Amino acid sequence: MTDVKTEPALTMVDPPPRRNVLVYIGERYALLVLLVAVVVFFSVWPRTSLAYSQPDSYRNILSSQTILAVIALGSIVPLVCGQFDLSVGSVALMSSVFTAASYANWHFPMVAGVLFGVALGAAVGLVNGLVVTRFGVNALITTLGSASIVSGIVTWYSGGTSIIQGIPTSLTNFGTGNWLGVPKVVYLLVIVALLVWYLLEHTPFGRYLYSVGSNFESARLVGLNIPSLVLRSFVVSGAAAGLGGILLLASSGAGNPQASVGNTLTLAALAAAFLGATAVHPGRFNVLGTLLAIFFLASAITGLTYAGVKDYIHDLFNGVALVLAVGISAVLNRRRQS
Amino acid sequence: MSTLRVTGLSKTFAGTRALVDVDLEVRHGEIHALVGGNGSGKSTLVKVLAGVYQPDPGGTIEIDATVADARDWSPGKAFEHGLRFVHQNPAVFGDLTVAENLAVGNRFPTGLGGRIRWKTLDAHARALIERYHIPATPRTRLRALNPASRTMVAVARALADQDRECVLVLDEPTTSLPAGEVDLLLEALRRCAIAGQTILYISHRLDEVLALADRVTVLRDGERVVTAGAAELTEAKLVEHIAGRPVALTAATAPPDLSAAEEVLRVLDVHGPPLRGVGLTLRRGEIVGVAGLLGSGRTELLQTIFGARPYASGAIEVAGRPVRFRSPADAMDLGIAHVPEDRGTQAVFAPMTVRQNISAGGVARYFKRLRLQHGWERREAQDAMRGFLVRAASDRAPMATLSGGNQQKVVLARWIRRQPSVLLLDEPTQGVDVAAREEIYALIRQAAADGAGVLLVANDFTELRRLCHRVLVLRGGRITAELTGDDLDSHKMTELAHLSKAGTS
Repeated sequence: MTDVKTEPALTMVDPPPRRNVLVYIGERYALLVLLVAVVVFFSVWPRTSLAYSQPDSYRNILSSQTILAVIALGSIVPLVCGQFDLSVGSVALMSSVFTAASYANWHFPMVAGVLFGVALGAAVGLVNGLVVTRFGVNALITTLGSASIVSGIVTWYSGGTSIIQGIPTSLTNFGTGNWLGVPKVVYLLVIVALLVWYLLEHTPFGRYLYSVGSNFESARLVGLNIPSLVLRSFVVSGAAAGLGGILLLASSGAGNPQASVGNTLTLAALAAAFLGATAVHPGRFNVLGTLLAIFFLASAITGLTYAGVKDYIHDLFNGVALVLAVGISAVLNRRRQS
Repeated sequence: MSTLRVTGLSKTFAGTRALVDVDLEVRHGEIHALVGGNGSGKSTLVKVLAGVYQPDPGGTIEIDATVADARDWSPGKAFEHGLRFVHQNPAVFGDLTVAENLAVGNRFPTGLGGRIRWKTLDAHARALIERYHIPATPRTRLRALNPASRTMVAVARALADQDRECVLVLDEPTTSLPAGEVDLLLEALRRCAIAGQTILYISHRLDEVLALADRVTVLRDGERVVTAGAAELTEAKLVEHIAGRPVALTAATAPPDLSAAEEVLRVLDVHGPPLRGVGLTLRRGEIVGVAGLLGSGRTELLQTIFGARPYASGAIEVAGRPVRFRSPADAMDLGIAHVPEDRGTQAVFAPMTVRQNISAGGVARYFKRLRLQHGWERREAQDAMRGFLVRAASDRAPMATLSGGNQQKVVLARWIRRQPSVLLLDEPTQGVDVAAREEIYALIRQAAADGAGVLLVANDFTELRRLCHRVLVLRGGRITAELTGDDLDSHKMTELAHLSKAGTS
């Protein structure tokens, strides 16, 4: 006990117990490596190479995944502070149908309709957030319920028929056109990704969300207003889902009230969010990881479809990815903590 | 004849000797009390008996003439040899019935296809209820029982298998019970003892120990001081054994004269369970200790001042202005800082970086020109790490990779860096090794010298003696004494924190 040193450490002692550097890099960029491997494989494999290596094929993957990517990026905001939002897919569906209705039935100008769709999503997020924070209902239950309510409203309003008239061509042109060889919607995705990244990494709000997600009680005791943070996170995810719905409308040209679309989108978004949390910044939900996850899943699924595998591969793949991603993070977390 | 005999038990934690060559003998059918101050080794001894801690080589545990090497002891062996434990907050389930509570952890009698045989279950339960005089039926929900009866359900469950003789170990069973309930529980335990049950009873409430026990063993600093019949002891004598002779050590520096210093905090007659009219004042530059036992309200006092806990009545003034905080954020705005008791669950963000942990609660400062200035944050975090002697790989190391002492220094840095006018510290050296402890003492003294008024809660009264200019004794939710100058020794604090008849001030 007498030989314990108490002098100040003016330098940082104990060099980092650098785990195997390969493991470290592997953990961060495994998903990127997988993405590249999948793309190379399907581009070379004789059964798919012809269809897969066309520029149109990449454009297809990019534009079809933009809707999902916008929704998934929104959904990680509540996830960062430890809250699930299972309503994102249904909210997107609602936004696409009601935005279509705003053009067809109420003759909104294009921009007004877009703002309306986003505001509608934000409003559902606000209600979700209020129920979670004011009444203390578990977020999983709240958003599972609101997803169902929202789908019900959509079916009730639309009577189950698509709204195809009066959709502004400027919107559908944006949804289907290219600019400089890249689908126009991809530029929007880049903007959304930058915004969410900025919000999470470069504002106090994002840091607070990570703090709440990491330790609720500690967050309370450093003075954070947890209800307000959680509430705002749901508004963000609702607004993003609303925007995703508008992209859905823009690319399909119709407000199609098919409830299953909502559920599929929710599951795919969560699968991407969790898979993304195993990459780039392992152990935390992050923008780049989520994007990598989406394009990895889409590339693999598209390749398999070209190889002749039937549609069910979609559900199968997303489901496996979700469970596997959560499993991997659990194992990695345990290892990191020991 | 002795039922349980422990000899030569020692336990060392990272250089600290928690138990030193302890002998303990519990006779058949007696209630044997184990008492000692905070950190005397009672809990360690219980955990060794339970097989949770592995002691140093050399000790033996003997039950009913079967001798075992204490190093080979395990929870399974403890159970096999008939040791039964009931802890401070017994694991009972309010929503289940008494019969279900009695069966949980033992075994539900089952029939065909795993069906629970409710009739058999009820019959077992009825027998136990009668034996332990629990005022309930097997189908009563536990929630409907009074607290003492709930504890007795836990006791009954622990002793349910009657095919063998058992030793019941009760670890501070009355700490969370209201006063009236304590007597009911003691009465029930006395009945058990009369029926021949052997009990080892751990408590820091001396009045109840003397009322209940046949014999008493006192531990101090990990050593057995005395074992004596309860009839030969008085409360005063016990306190003398628990506290020992006051160590002749004075505070490191002569206390400065602070009577002229500006008052930074005043608490007036604050009520709100468990506080029952607490009043105190704190001056700039002053370190005031709060000496109290577990359950005295010491932690709740700090939380109340910090706005993290509502209070029913009373007033709090900060720098002469009356305040009513509705959240910790309100308190922080007026320069109050709070280092909570449990670092792991209340202070640390384990997966986040050291840098982020240091700036937690003050991140908004770095938001300039529409973005977080990470470079600025990093420089300040690195400065703080140097200033607060944090040893870590870098400011980007995850907090979880740091030792307890270094984590605590990060938490201190987070708060002291804000230059608080009031610094509330709850057990700032808990789970911290000796070297880091000295450094933390220096940091606390420095914070006071820089103008903070420090209110310090510590389990270890020696720590209070070494750091504080003044110590307030908190007992049963009120300040019962104030110690200054020559009175400031841990003996006196132990005496006042334990004694039920200490005068009120």
